[in-house]
Amino acid sequence: MSRVQIVLATLAMATAGCGSSSEGAGGQAVTIQFAAKVGAADFVCGSTYENLGADDSTLTLSDFRFYVSDLELKDSNGDYVAVALDTDANAWQTANVALLDFETGCTDFGNPETHEVVTGTVPEGTYDGLRFKMGVPFDLNHQNPPTAEPPLNLSSMEWDWQGGYKFLRIDSGDFSMTDWRMHLGSTGCDGDPVAGGTTACTAPNRVDVELASFDPAGDTVVADFAALVAGVALDVDHDAPVGCMAGPTDSDCAPLFENLGLPFDGSSPGTQAFFSVE
Amino acid sequence: MRLASFIVSFALLGAACGSEPAVPEAWVWELPDTVPEPRVPEDNPMTLEKVELGRFLFYDKRLSGNQTQSCGSCHRQELAFTDGLAQAEGSTGQLHPRGSMSIANSGYAASLTWANNTLVRLERQALVPMFGEEPVELGMANRESELLQRLREDERYPEMFAAAFPDENDPISVDSITKALGAFQRRVTSFGSRVDRWQQGDRTALNASEQRGLALFFGGTNAAGVQDALECFHCHGGFLFSQSSDDAGQVFDQKFFMNNGLYNLDADGSYPPGNQGLYELTGDPTDKGKFKPPSLRNIAVTAPYMHDGSIATLEEVLDHYARGGRLIESGPFAGDGKDNPNKNSLLNGFAMTEQEKQDMLAFLQALTDEDLLNDPAISDPFAE
Repeated sequence: MSRVQIVLATLAMATAGCGSSSEGAGGQAVTIQFAAKVGAADFVCGSTYENLGADDSTLTLSDFRFYVSDLELKDSNGDYVAVALDTDANAWQTANVALLDFETGCTDFGNPETHEVVTGTVPEGTYDGLRFKMGVPFDLNHQNPPTAEPPLNLSSMEWDWQGGYKFLRIDSGDFSMTDWRMHLGSTGCDGDPVAGGTTACTAPNRVDVELASFDPAGDTVVADFAALVAGVALDVDHDAPVGCMAGPTDSDCAPLFENLGLPFDGSSPGTQAFFSVE
Repeated sequence: MRLASFIVSFALLGAACGSEPAVPEAWVWELPDTVPEPRVPEDNPMTLEKVELGRFLFYDKRLSGNQTQSCGSCHRQELAFTDGLAQAEGSTGQLHPRGSMSIANSGYAASLTWANNTLVRLERQALVPMFGEEPVELGMANRESELLQRLREDERYPEMFAAAFPDENDPISVDSITKALGAFQRRVTSFGSRVDRWQQGDRTALNASEQRGLALFFGGTNAAGVQDALECFHCHGGFLFSQSSDDAGQVFDQKFFMNNGLYNLDADGSYPPGNQGLYELTGDPTDKGKFKPPSLRNIAVTAPYMHDGSIATLEEVLDHYARGGRLIESGPFAGDGKDNPNKNSLLNGFAMTEQEKQDMLAFLQALTDEDLLNDPAISDPFAE
């Protein structure tokens, strides 16, 4: 190699080390609209809702956030095609996970910004169905949150007791120990003191959602809290904490998991009813 | 000439990526020959600057939301970094189900906290008291920007963080806070008790009673003629005085949790709700009541005992093990822990004479490391 070639090669390595370039994907842009509701009403941070669950309970809802991943749209052949998420300069989306945020900072654990869409690209075509998971993929779920890319570096979405994230957080009242809440994440995880990471989780708790008839141009994915708590006794708490924080030993989680189509404590999963199309 | 241009190119590479950082001073372990070094994570090497920064952060009340509590508020040096309470209390008054554990030798723990099999690194565990919501401990959830701003505005921290993390363009971050806290805790080792000096060869370090206690602890035959009558060392043995022990040379996962028969609420061997131990993480009913046996070093100054502080004195701890489990005659937690189906099979009780009890107490008290309790290098720099 000539002297000039060596210098150029080294400088090329230097710039590669010091920065990165992102590649643009081909295809067409797509925006998937989400909405948070409580029955027929829109979720509004800090609003009070009645006739919830098996006891016709009243709750003042104060947080409503969830991660989605592995979004796929169904093409005209009936095949599901992955949506490549927009990740450049996007604090809400990274790799293949996006944070939907409907709260507006009505409590100390939230923030004023909302994010109600997932944006990305798919190959050119027409699409009429949607599939996704509610959750953070395993390879991202157990990383070190302080050094993670947004939206995975929010302390209010960390779930440090099991070394992961809250896939879903819906809280009520003032976040006191007696306020009802639902936090969902992977449980039954195991840590490895030798390598330092998490090896596996017996209950991944990622919710599979298939909306077989969904038009990205005009339809909205609705996350309905009333449907999530249908048949759930919200005024009774059998096991700490109040509500469900996905603890595998908390019997109050069983009906909520059923409404998410997740198995709980060995039971067969029910049918996912939290997400629907409007 | 080709070599010279190559060197010039690498200098340019350095210049393009940032100026040459000051080199922090590597930490040197001062440990007895009989003790291995703790495992140090590759992404958090030990340096003097990082350890000292971690000490300041450990005792700094600005790490709590309302600035009333620091790590050191519940991990007090004079109590071997515990707080004397059955249940820890957070900065907003919420009670934790369990008591504060000593951070001494926590760099050697195969898992951290009383009954969590996923917390295996000090750096990650620090996020729990900082950002946890149930209960609120330091209470910084959603307030990390505020925390970093407090530290940036301090006179000392910008320089201390830069010295500890010279490769970071913006050294004050949550990540560097947890790394500094991890490095400080890792350096808080405790191998200076009289038992340690005896084990290192000083045959004047323990008196006759303490020596008898040591023998009983490590599998000796009791007065009733039973070999390994007390069985203590099975769960509280090794250089750490705990079976849950990791170090730089370990290749196997040594996490360890066991049930020592404190409660027995029902046929499943349930423990009180909200405090069922490892079961709360795994959902496996045989994990009900399983907790990590803590290191017994400094045990004489870390009362009350057990995960919920429900045994007040060391005498009562010995009585508990002599019986083989605790009987609670009435009330919401009534039951005989001796019959708990998940109780460790080694806990069958033993005969103990009054002399043997005094010998055991003497031995346990000789596990106190006065250097740890008084060392200025790990004390509160903010104290007057």
